Order: sequence, then C-alpha cells, then structure tokens
Amino acid sequence: MLWTLIQREILANLMTFRFPIAIITCAILGLAITAALTDNYERRLASYNEAFQTHQEKNFSPKTYSGLSPQLSRPPNPLSLFNQGLDKRAANSVRLRRDKVPSVWEDNYFSTGFDNPFRHLLASIDIVTVFQIFLSLLALVFAYDAIAGERENGTLHLILANPVGRGLIVLSKYLSAMICLLLPVLISFLLALMLQLQSPVIDYSTADFLRIGGILLTTIVYVSAFYLIGLLISCIGRRTATSLISSMFIWVVLTFIYPNASLFMVNHFIETEEKIEQADRGISQIMEGFQREKAKLRDPFAWPFLLEGHWSGSSISRDVTHIEAASELEIPTVKAYYQELEPQRLRAVGAAWLVRKQAYSETFVHRSTTARNVLRLSPAGLYYLATAAYAGTDLAAMEAFFKSVRQYRQTILDYFYDKKAFSSRQWFASDKGAVRWDDLPRFSYQALSGLTEDSSRASGELLRLLLLNLVLLIVTLVVFSRQEV
Amino acid sequence: MLWHIVQRELFQQFNSLRFMFAILVIVFLMILNAIGHIKQYKTRQIEYRQQVSASLERLKGNSDNLYNLVVRGPGELSKQPSKLAFCAQGSEDYLPTSVFGWSAGWGRGDPTYKVSGLWRLMYDVSPPITAADIFPTFLKIDWILIISIVLSFLALVFTFDAISGEVERGTLRLTLSNSVARGTVLAGKFLSILMSLGVVLLIGMLMNLLLLSGTLQLNGQEWGRIVGVSVVSLMYLSIFIALGLFVSSLTNRSATSLVILLLLWVIWVLLIPATFGTILSGLNQPLSTQDHKAQRSSQRKEITERYEARGLYDHVPTRVRPPTDATLLWAQFLNEERRADIRLNKEFLMTRIHQIQVAREFNRISPTAIVQYAVESLAGTGFQRHLDFLKNAERYADAFNDFLISADGADPESPHAPFVREGMSDKPVSFESIPKFQDRVRLGDAFKGAILDVMLLLLFFIVLFAAAHVSFQRKEI
Repeated sequence: MLWTLIQREILANLMTFRFPIAIITCAILGLAITAALTDNYERRLASYNEAFQTHQEKNFSPKTYSGLSPQLSRPPNPLSLFNQGLDKRAANSVRLRRDKVPSVWEDNYFSTGFDNPFRHLLASIDIVTVFQIFLSLLALVFAYDAIAGERENGTLHLILANPVGRGLIVLSKYLSAMICLLLPVLISFLLALMLQLQSPVIDYSTADFLRIGGILLTTIVYVSAFYLIGLLISCIGRRTATSLISSMFIWVVLTFIYPNASLFMVNHFIETEEKIEQADRGISQIMEGFQREKAKLRDPFAWPFLLEGHWSGSSISRDVTHIEAASELEIPTVKAYYQELEPQRLRAVGAAWLVRKQAYSETFVHRSTTARNVLRLSPAGLYYLATAAYAGTDLAAMEAFFKSVRQYRQTILDYFYDKKAFSSRQWFASDKGAVRWDDLPRFSYQALSGLTEDSSRASGELLRLLLLNLVLLIVTLVVFSRQEV
Repeated sequence: MLWHIVQRELFQQFNSLRFMFAILVIVFLMILNAIGHIKQYKTRQIEYRQQVSASLERLKGNSDNLYNLVVRGPGELSKQPSKLAFCAQGSEDYLPTSVFGWSAGWGRGDPTYKVSGLWRLMYDVSPPITAADIFPTFLKIDWILIISIVLSFLALVFTFDAISGEVERGTLRLTLSNSVARGTVLAGKFLSILMSLGVVLLIGMLMNLLLLSGTLQLNGQEWGRIVGVSVVSLMYLSIFIALGLFVSSLTNRSATSLVILLLLWVIWVLLIPATFGTILSGLNQPLSTQDHKAQRSSQRKEITERYEARGLYDHVPTRVRPPTDATLLWAQFLNEERRADIRLNKEFLMTRIHQIQVAREFNRISPTAIVQYAVESLAGTGFQRHLDFLKNAERYADAFNDFLISADGADPESPHAPFVREGMSDKPVSFESIPKFQDRVRLGDAFKGAILDVMLLLLFFIVLFAAAHVSFQRKEI
C-alpha cells in the first residue's frame, strides 16, 4: 500500500515544473560555486607553498641555539570548499618564540589567506552556505502544497475514502518527496566533487572522502528537516497560499534572521575586553618579576661588555661571530649567565601562559561555546556546525593546529635541555662553528588527521538534527491525524 | 483612476499578514543594527583618536630636527571612520584603518658615511583581523544586508501573486471590465507595492536613526547621504517589484510564479555577487609580494650601481655652502631612489586594486552588488572610500614633502641640497607649522561614486518594467 502511494506521489512530484527547475538550478549552483572556490583555494595554496618554501630555508638558518625562532604555517584546508568555517579567519602562520606560548586567540598573528589582501573584500560563500539557503528553500517549495494543495483540490477526501491510514499518507508524501529532493542534491554534490577533482592541486584521501560523505549525509538530513517543517505548515494551513507565505517567512527567520541575530547578540553581550585586560595586568606582573630577577644577574652583553668581539642579535637571540683571545676566559661566566637566565625565562613564560589560558577560556572560548549552543536551536545552525566539524574548519580544528604548535615548542625546549644548550657556547656564539639542526625533529602538521575527533563532534550535531526530524515527523503525524478534512 | 487603484491595493497590502510580518522583521533587524553600531562606533572613535594623537606625538618628537622628519616622516596616517558605518560596515573589517610609511628598509652602515632611505608611503593592506573575529559569522547586520537581501526577498513575496493571484481568484477580469487601461492597473500595482515596502523601510530606518541619535550627531551633509541611501534602496526594490510583476504576469498560478521568483532571487542576489567577479578576477593576477620585493631590491641595486659609476662613494657629503658636488650627487641619488621606489609601490598597489575593480565591474550584473557599492560609497565606507583615503594620504605625503623643502629653504644657513643630512637645515622645526594629516569623507566623491550605480539600477528597472508591461498587455485572461 505504502509503495503504491509513494509511486503516485513521486509521479506527481516529477510531473511538476519545479522538479526540472530544481535539478537545473542545483547543477548550476554546484558548478558555479565550486569553480569560484577551487580557483580561490588554488590561490591560497600557492601563497602557502611560497611562504612555506621561504620558511623552510630560513627556519634552520640561525647559527646559535638562542637564534632559533621558526615560522610554522598551516596549509589551507581543501574541505573549506564545502564549509570554510574559520579556515580563512584563524591565523595560518605562527612564529615560534621562547618568550611566548602561541594561541589561536593571539592578536599579533594576522592571517594571510591571499597574497592580495583586498581579495577578502570579494564575498566568498562556500557550498554549505549555498545549500543551507537554497536546499531549505527547495524543500519548502516541495512541501508547501503537499497536504494543503490536496485539500484545496479535494483529492484528499478521495484518498481518505480508501482504506489507508493517515499516517501512511504522511509517510508516503515524506518519502517520495525526499526521493525527489535527493536527486538535485546528489547531482549538485557530485558535479561539485567532480569539478574539484579536476583541479590538479586537490587530492582527497580516503579520510577526506569519509568527511565528504558525512557532509552529504548531514545535507540530506537538513533537507529532510526543512521538508518536514513545510509539511507541518501545509497540514496546519488551510490554503496553499497561506501555507506558502508562512513557509517563506519561517524560512527567512530560520536561515537568515535567527542565526545572524543570535550570533550578533552573543558577540555583543559577552564582554571580553575587561577580562583580557585584567589578565594582561597579571601577566605584566609576572614578567616584571622575571625582569627583576634578570636585573640581578650580570648581563655580559650590557655595557661594560664582558667579551670583546663582534656580535649581533637581541637579548633573546644572540650570535657572537668573533671573540678576542683575551676574552676566552670570560666564556664560562657567559655560559653560567644563560644557564641561570633561560630556565627562569621559561618558567615566567609558562606562568604567564596559564594566566592567559584561563582568561581566554573565560572570554573567547566561552563566547564561542555560547554561540554554538545558540546556533543549535536552528536547523541551519546545526547544519553549519556539523559540516564545519566534518570539514575540519571549526574552532576545535583551528585550536588543534595551535596545540600541535605548542607541542612542537615543547619539543624544541626539551631538545635544548637534552643538549644542555643553555649552558653551551653555541647558545650565544657561532665562532666555533654553527649549530647543526639535523637531529631536531621537524614540524609536521597533518591538518586532517583527527578524523575520529572531528566526526564525533559532528555526529553530536547530526544527532540533534535527526532528533529534530523525528519530533517534526511525530508532530506532523499527530496534527494530520487529528485534523478534519 | 490610477490613484483609485493604488488606494485599493494599498488597503489590501496593509491588511495582509505579510505586511505585518515584514514590519516586524525589518524593525527587529534595524534595532539590532543600532544596538551593535553604538558600541562599535564608540570603540572605533576612541581607536581613531588614539591613533591620531599617537601619530601627532611621534611627529612632535621628530620635529626637533628637519632631517629627522625626512627620514622618519609624519608617522601613521589614520582613516577617519565614517559616522554612517551602520549603513554599510560589511567590508570595513577587511580594510586597514591606516597607512604608514617608513624609510623603506635600506640603510648604509658603512663607517665612512652612514645613511638610510627617505620616508615614503608603504601602503600596508593587511586586514586588521583580531581574536574577536575568530567567530562564526554568516553576515553582518547592516542596512545593506537588510535592504539588499531581506527587503528584496520581501519585495518578491509582496508581488508574486499580484497578477497571477488575481487571475486565480478571477478578480483581474472584474477589474479590467471597468474602463481602465491595463498599463494603469500595472502602474497602480507597482506603486502600491513600492509604497508599502517604502513604509516598511521608512519605519525601520527611523527606528534605527532614533536609537542612534543619542550617540551620533549627524550634520546636514550626512542626512543628505541618508536620503541618498534611501533613494538608492527604493530604486533597488523597484527592480525586484518589476521582476515580480513580470514573472507574475507570465504565469497563471501564483505558486508557480513564487517558485520561479525564489530561484531567480537565489541566483541573482546570493550567487552572482559571490562568485561571478571572483571567478573572472582570477584571470589577471597581480604580482606576488615576493616578486614585488625582488623587483624593488633589484631596482635599488640598479640605481645604486649607476650612481656608484658616477662616483657616489668616492666623496662624502659635507656641510658647506654652496653644496659640494658630492652633496648634490647624494641628494640626487636619494631623491631618485625614493621616486623610483614610490613608483613601484604604487604600481604594485594599483595592480592589486585593479584585480578587485575588475571583479566589482563583473559583479554589477547583479543589482545586489550594485546597491552594495552605491550604499557603501554614500555611507563613506568600503572599497571606494578606502581608495579615496589612499588618495588623501598621497596628497598629504606630497604636501609634507613640499613643506620639508620650503622649511629648508627658509633657513638661510642651509646649503639647500635636500634631502642629504649635510645638505639640509639642522634646526628644529616649529611643530605648528608642519602640515597635519586630516582625512575627510567628502560628499562630492560619494555622489560621483554612486552615480554610475544609480544609472545601472535605473536601467535594470526600465528593462524589467517594460518587460512586465509588455507581458501584461499581451496576457489573455
């Protein structure tokens, strides 16, 4: 019975003009957006590669241990084509320093997604944004007259005269429309994917395909949620015209007004400046303490100089290229100075980092969490959050980069301790040969390594979306079965 | 007769559900915009004042010696924030708020004669992205968003059944059985919808301005700009009303016309501005930053070698009057190096700007992009305003240079060979006499920038309204 009903509904849907229009528009949208985004991605990748080359050359060129300050970069994420998330906003390049622990919330790192920074001005939307707007609209357009239309035509009376349960009718309408909606979704998805694979620089791994599969699944569930919203409105509305207008307004509210307005309010009402300033004051106290300790030590590179020779660099990175024979006697004093100073510096920096971390978690992290919770109330928000997690462009993925940068910083520090670098001559002088960095592990960051973490985050949102579907379906069934025809 | 039809239609509109809803949505968004803007405006103003006073402080510090001014320049030049940023602030986040110059990264540490390059504008364009921006944002709520996306959508919702709905109900036949021309009916429908949308827009704008009036003191010129913005918005909405009437008169079912309109809307309003220009601007690529750096240093090398052949390093400039040949040669060299470097920097900036301008030209096939650009230039924000600001900065850099030469000329003891240290006056300069950078948002520039956009909007409207007229005339009922 159900199958007969589905067949009838599919036929009815296929015969309407909106079906071919949906297919054609979806295909155009998928192709146009992907063409623009692929070009965009290629450009960002090119500037990353260029920067990476230069850093590769320069990172290990310092001749002394203290001069090491490598620049580490995060490659652009190809899945940002689907959901760009924070990929272009969070910093993609960090200079690692001994006197600072890097964090995604640091103001000083600016993001250089493009070589031409003005290109940020050209609006760029990703595939998910287009789907979020367009597919929800399409689902509502398929749904608004599903029941109200039949009621107007009088065909609903006719169907109910047969021995079919009302639940079956709703179910068959839902399933058939989903089959019809699946077609344009799949077509535009496949076209987009095919076009991406044409690009010489995009090379998806199996894990990436799994992520893309997750995004596709979320898209289908999202479309279904909007179809059910439309179906519910169609049940309640007596006339197609009313249900159409109400669908459109609900669509505007759910996809435009609610996400934008709620994010705006979260951003506006959660104060960040005060707490950050407070933390800054605490940090400057810690650093002043360190400076006091430092002042107690005799700086060999302050006037009157302990050594005679040539040197360059600052108090944090020193490179002595030549030492007069008479000054050789003073070398142990300099070594002792650094052996005393550097661990103290690292302790102060570590303490400052703890203060800063606390302040960040109370301000920026708190704000982001609130934003996420607020977004979850709208299907469009859930769709955004789930796909950003699948694509690996959400905040957690950005923080993962900084986490690995921090780990690498620790690796370097451990390396210094292992080598007893602070008390070595090569800490500050390269006159007896430059440091060879061969045994220092190189930084490597696989942006898309955490598939399991990313998809577990995503599935939380996906489950919420599924729950919403279920609730809507039940409510529709109840409303329809209690309604007079 | 026309007025009679308009009255009837207006009455219908005002009583409809969608009108109430439209007012609610627009007023809500306008209130949000005002709340957000008050905070943003204050912080931006404070930031601007701090920037200006810091740069004046630096200028004062450098004015103890004329040569200091030559090398260190006037400090950072800040962009004055527009009071009307609440109309259009979307692209402001991606534009720098200042330009600065410096002695351009070269110096000669030779112990015989130490010298560094002269101050020049460097046009740094890195966008001021901070930690606060690491936040999911879909769209910024400003007037442009409200008008170009929400109101254009509402315009279609208001018009989709204007003709097809009346055909369905059969009332159109009734109307036309009276002695009234079809053109008049169409015009009446158009005017009434435009008026009701105008009312929605007006209520929203007034609400917004009322909330902002406590913080902003707008002068006559700025009110003029706001009137300009509303005229441009109404023209933009007319395009969508004409489009809605056109599609509505093509079909006999209102649902069909709404579906077609929505698809057109998604493509025209959302898709084209975000993709079209971006794809086509990829065709011409500006020089990469690294190539530009290489070009600059090779040019400097070439100039240095040319002067070296003329004996630049053989003699050191000395402070004698009249200036020696060595002093003059050094002066010539320093000036030429700066001029050539400024030229390269400028060319580099221009190719970058050109790429964006090409994209903007192509985006203009969507009225949404047009209205964005027009409102931005009227509000004194966005790309066009940034270009004007850069022009102001350049003009100021020239004036500053002229001032240095005249200040040197005023000192009778100077050898008058700018800009070599030994060839210039070494007296302090009175801080008051130094020209200060004062950025202005000019109304003339704004209207000039908007006029092409307004004409394009008009063109779109005429074409669509003519199409609606023809298809309504030929419609069988």
